[in-house]
Amino acid sequence: MRDRLLVLALLVAAASSARAQSPPPKSPPAVNGCIECHTALDDPRITPPAKLFADDVHAKAGFTCVFCHGGDARQEDQEKAHDPAKGFIGKPTPRQIPELCGKCHSDPALMKQYDPSQRVDQLAEYRTSGHGKMLAEGDTTVAQCASCHGAHGIQPVKDSRSPVSPTKVAQTCNHCHGDAALMAAHKLPSDPYEKWSRSVHYRARVERGDLSAPTCNSCHGNHGAAPPQVGSVANVCGTCHVTFADQFKLSPHWEPFKDMGLPGCVTCHENHEIVKPSEAFLAEGEQSKCSSCHEADSAGARAAAAMRADLVGLDGEIRQATRLVDRAAEAGMEVSRVHFDLVAATNALTKARSQVHLFRPSAVHAAVAEGLTVARKAAAGGQARLKERDFRRRGLFVSLGLILVTIVALVVKIREGGRSSREPGE
Amino acid sequence: MESSARSESSGAVTRRSWVSWLLGTSLGATLFAFLYPVLNYLVPPESSEPSLSEFELDLKASDIPPNSGRIVPIGGKPVLLLRRPSGELAALTATCTHLDCTVQFRTDRSDIWCACHNGTYDLKGRNISGPPPRPLTPLEIYVRGEKIVIKRA
Amino acid sequence: MSEAKRSSSSVPEPAPQPVPGEGGIRAWARDRLGWDDLAHIAAKKRVPVHRYTLFYYLGGMALFLFLVQVATGILLLLYYRPSSAEAFESIQYVMADVPFGWLIRSIHSWGANLFVGVVFAHLASVFFLKAYRPPREMTWVTGAVLLFLALGFGFSGYLLPWNTLAFFATKVGTDVPAQIPGIGHLLSRILRGGSDVSGATLSRFYGIHVAILPAVTTLILGAHLLLVQRHGMSVPRSVEKRTNRTMPFVPDFLMRDMVGWLAAVGLLAALAAFFPWELGVKADPFASAPAGIRPEWYFLWMFQGLKYLPSKIAGIPGETLGVLFFGALAAALVAVPWLDRRGKRGIAVAAVLVLIAAAVLTVLALLPVPSATKP
Repeated sequence: MRDRLLVLALLVAAASSARAQSPPPKSPPAVNGCIECHTALDDPRITPPAKLFADDVHAKAGFTCVFCHGGDARQEDQEKAHDPAKGFIGKPTPRQIPELCGKCHSDPALMKQYDPSQRVDQLAEYRTSGHGKMLAEGDTTVAQCASCHGAHGIQPVKDSRSPVSPTKVAQTCNHCHGDAALMAAHKLPSDPYEKWSRSVHYRARVERGDLSAPTCNSCHGNHGAAPPQVGSVANVCGTCHVTFADQFKLSPHWEPFKDMGLPGCVTCHENHEIVKPSEAFLAEGEQSKCSSCHEADSAGARAAAAMRADLVGLDGEIRQATRLVDRAAEAGMEVSRVHFDLVAATNALTKARSQVHLFRPSAVHAAVAEGLTVARKAAAGGQARLKERDFRRRGLFVSLGLILVTIVALVVKIREGGRSSREPGE
Repeated sequence: MESSARSESSGAVTRRSWVSWLLGTSLGATLFAFLYPVLNYLVPPESSEPSLSEFELDLKASDIPPNSGRIVPIGGKPVLLLRRPSGELAALTATCTHLDCTVQFRTDRSDIWCACHNGTYDLKGRNISGPPPRPLTPLEIYVRGEKIVIKRA
Repeated sequence: MSEAKRSSSSVPEPAPQPVPGEGGIRAWARDRLGWDDLAHIAAKKRVPVHRYTLFYYLGGMALFLFLVQVATGILLLLYYRPSSAEAFESIQYVMADVPFGWLIRSIHSWGANLFVGVVFAHLASVFFLKAYRPPREMTWVTGAVLLFLALGFGFSGYLLPWNTLAFFATKVGTDVPAQIPGIGHLLSRILRGGSDVSGATLSRFYGIHVAILPAVTTLILGAHLLLVQRHGMSVPRSVEKRTNRTMPFVPDFLMRDMVGWLAAVGLLAALAAFFPWELGVKADPFASAPAGIRPEWYFLWMFQGLKYLPSKIAGIPGETLGVLFFGALAAALVAVPWLDRRGKRGIAVAAVLVLIAAAVLTVLALLPVPSATKP
């Protein structure tokens, strides 16, 4: 109780200072005895934290060691400084840490003085998470605040040095979730990061720098980290892939998948190793997604085949039109207007592909039909320009022929006249 | 100008005049082959400067009711022609700044939306939610009576 | 020696007499336009025949290509718009919509390069055959000026499409005169129509390309041709004594000329059909210069040479020395007839060295640029 009171008193003192950057005017004094002693002792166990803390966001806001560890910073004597009567708890245990952090970070009035837009429900969320629940049951190998945020050199999440900044958070999760032994002990796979690194989201996020693509916490949450429940996968994917999720929910797969406990989108698209989908998903073969449920020649299989045929057809038309237009462009023809039609056709193909998620061939067919019209218009445009190119070349050959004939006539004339006109002398 | 050709045998004379004929005719034909494109070039084409900086659209201004928009091709690229609820006509590039899908006007929410990854822009083209990293580019638009003219950026 | 004689016109003209065998119009024109004299001169003009006669055709080829440029240039004038807002688009229009516009424009662009190439060849042949010997020094001087005018045409015309390549090449190109000590910056400002390359530069270059240079060229070219006519074709010393065969200018030399001209037109047409001249992307003054900016091939040796100069030599900026060196080269070129008074080999050797250096620099400039940053 007393350590809590001390901490509370110190917090009140801190709160009363009102300026975020300057340390509270009352106790403790400007000199931080803890840091002085711990650095002077030069011990690999206690010196690094003291050194790291100088760069910590909490240090900059005026919080010192005693705010978390308790004790008395003014004392030079170790026993007096580490006095449990003054609230000293030493190194907090994993089970103590969430509550410790939560003392401040769940206090809206306090947090408002330092960062009003920061959330104050992290501890509550954590308690609902897989990690939180297991920690409450006594499993100290799971993640708690310090596992991801660090303990002494804590940076704001926005700072790229923070282990949970947008560019680093996946690797931080992977520290534990890629550890085969640790994951085996919890009956979890240890390859989610490896699988995610082969996904389109990884390519977008890490290779192209598109931070709108999802990483671990985008789908699993931050503090309430848990895999989306089977029934809510479509909602999670649907936050970005709106049209697909909407259609899926209207499709004949929606209810059966829920009844069978199938995880929505993940059933066909995987959860971590989400690759670029192709029409091969609808085919019969290795990459087929349909054949695991739909027997060959069943209504479902035939529907898949019909949709695939439509999509492949439109894709083929677009490719052909693109080839024609490219050939015309290479020959120097002006093709910008035809490009608009190609873009429109490609848009139609994208729309048709999204319509697959209605799992009704008629919807796909309608979208493909629109696309075919435009693709054929583009192909016609490409053809017309190639015809123009051919006209130019024919014209050229005619002109060259005429020039050649003229040159021949000239040469003959020259040779004839030449014999008698090259007279010696003037 | 001809050399002492006339005094030679008649065979040579016919050959010479045949060559002269060939030369004259082929020169004339070649000249015609040069003049044909030049004369055609002088005749201006039908289209009234569509490749130049101003594009006159086939649509009439009254074809676009308030709080609606449609895609028109300008120089081969899609452009969103829209009329804001306040009544003014505007033109924005319609290629989403995220991954290049073509955006669309949403009448029910009076905004611009990209169906690919749920990106949203306001009616001035500013990206307000979702993945798009940059706003859409506005194009200058002039309305002369019923005629709509869009200036290429 | 073969020299054309000028006919004297000090005798009062007799009354018009009909000439047997002459058509009515010819007689009418003859009496009024007096082209009897011209016909007389032309009939008497003869061209020496020896083993270097082939080089005589280069001058006529250059003239022909110049006329092709003038003709296609005038046609392009009918559609081109010289403002930064519309120049690019007007050429797009010519390439895409105007009937045979692609042909006219490509011939003009390819023709410019062919023209400059032939001018260089003509210069080289006249130089190495030492045709600048007295009394032909002024023919050489006017010829050197014509070379500079041709390069000026090339430089000013290059900007007119207002695409990225042209814009930045002009930026780099107009930076060079700025290096001239004293008047350099003023010169650069006058060229650019301002402190930077802008729409004002486009207007200026347009005026230079279609009005100023053509006017000046007409005068200098006229002088050059008159001088050629006055002195006749020069015969190289090495064959001077060995032959005195000649051929009439009309029709023999002209017909041979025509073969060359027709072949040139055919080549230009083929280039236009198979390798249409690119238009690229419209210039954006606010964008950063793309990698690989360079001027046309005939300026590459200067461009590359300037790159190799150290930033300071004995306290003077390297670029300034480079520019002054080019100026000295130009002055030396004009002064060749006087530099080579003794007619010995020295000057030919010097010229060959300069040519080799220029060729090496040009090749170096064309090599792909290795990327500056390594992964």
